Amino acid sequence: MNLVADEELMLQVRNGDSETLGVLFDRYHAPLFNFYARLMGDRGVSEDLVQEVFLRILRYRQSYQPGTPFRPWIYQIARNARMDHYRKNPRQVAFQAEMVPPVAPPDAAQQAQEANLLHRALLQLPEEKREILILARFQELKYGEIAGLLGCELNTVKTRIHRALQDLRKAFRMLEQGMPASGCGPAGPDISLRRAGQ
Amino acid sequence: MNCEKIAELLPDFLRGGLERERAEMVEQHLERCAECRDDVDVWQKLALLPAPEAVADSRARFDAVLQAYQAGRAQPEFPASTAGEKAPRRKVFDWLRTPAAALAWSMALLAIGFFAGNGMSRTTSHSEDLAVMRSELSSMRQLVVLSMLQQQSASERLQGVSYSQREAQLDPQVLAALLHTLRHDSNVDVRLAALDALSRHSGQPQVRRGVTDALQNQQSPLVQVALIDQLLEWRDPDLAQRLRDLQRMPDLNPVVRERAEWAINKIQ
Repeated sequence: MNLVADEELMLQVRNGDSETLGVLFDRYHAPLFNFYARLMGDRGVSEDLVQEVFLRILRYRQSYQPGTPFRPWIYQIARNARMDHYRKNPRQVAFQAEMVPPVAPPDAAQQAQEANLLHRALLQLPEEKREILILARFQELKYGEIAGLLGCELNTVKTRIHRALQDLRKAFRMLEQGMPASGCGPAGPDISLRRAGQ
Repeated sequence: MNCEKIAELLPDFLRGGLERERAEMVEQHLERCAECRDDVDVWQKLALLPAPEAVADSRARFDAVLQAYQAGRAQPEFPASTAGEKAPRRKVFDWLRTPAAALAWSMALLAIGFFAGNGMSRTTSHSEDLAVMRSELSSMRQLVVLSMLQQQSASERLQGVSYSQREAQLDPQVLAALLHTLRHDSNVDVRLAALDALSRHSGQPQVRRGVTDALQNQQSPLVQVALIDQLLEWRDPDLAQRLRDLQRMPDLNPVVRERAEWAINKIQ
């Protein structure tokens, strides 16, 4: 595999070759969609935001500076797009738990149960904590890059990840022991109400 | 080694980013401490979470946007007469160009230096002083935005627009400059970015009025569509009338005409 670096592709986009943005779209669509969906829980909004990110890249492509690492750059745009979304649509209090795993293979029942509880525990965290955990665990960003995104020191990022992880662990173990969990429905296919194409 | 010390190392440990000696220290602690072990366990369990199910047709939607964007950019921009009229306007601001920008930058740097030095030298800094400094710093930044908006190169003007978005409040002069950019900048991307930036200041009557007025004189279909969408979002009371006026223009781009029609239906 001999992939052209993201930064190289973005420079081509910057210099007027908009078609090349399609390659970056293919590379980043799924990670960005997962980021939004895990964080916000609404697949429709997540998809809209991903499209918005790429539209912004088109518009702002000339502001991309050679030598800027692409991944943190696109996540910065993604975070801004999310903040603008919240500004236009003030946050709904209830989190839509629609991206819960659809159907798990029967032999993995135990794992599915754990994943479900973990998912619910994650939803109980405040969004800031959920975000930093998602960025650190799933989005292939270095801690230094996360620090840049959040505008804080590297050590602060590590402390915040650790605290968020502790909170997640506590919430998860509580749920496991059958303690009442606020605002979460039962596990099962009935949670995935809103599907694609809505 | 206690939990507090481990906490500093744990995030790097979780990603395998510790050198051997420290990693072993963490492992020894984990053998003895159930809570920390549980943190690690939960971190690893996060891998169980499946990826959310993607939405279909995502790429097709993006391709459509890309095509519309390219088609929009290919449209002729300004009639010759408008271009001719623009030249002297730019000249008025010539004095504001590079030297002034350099001056603004150095003033901003000075302010940042002063700000940082101030914070370090006095351990008990007064919040009032800080507030004053912050507001001064904010005007410096806005000065920088003003001069960047006058630059010759589109990419610098674009940066000026993005730079303006770091400020929650903008001075009336900066808002006026952004409105001027929205109406007269020669580059579509800069105009679109200016609209983005202005959309955050919809609370200012000056902004709403300016953006509404920009609709009539706009030549680029892309910007026209973006303007229609913005005004629709603001629920501008005169929008229906303005859209009908727009539709009366004989050489209106069909896509824009369609968007205007769609917006009129949305209002009703």
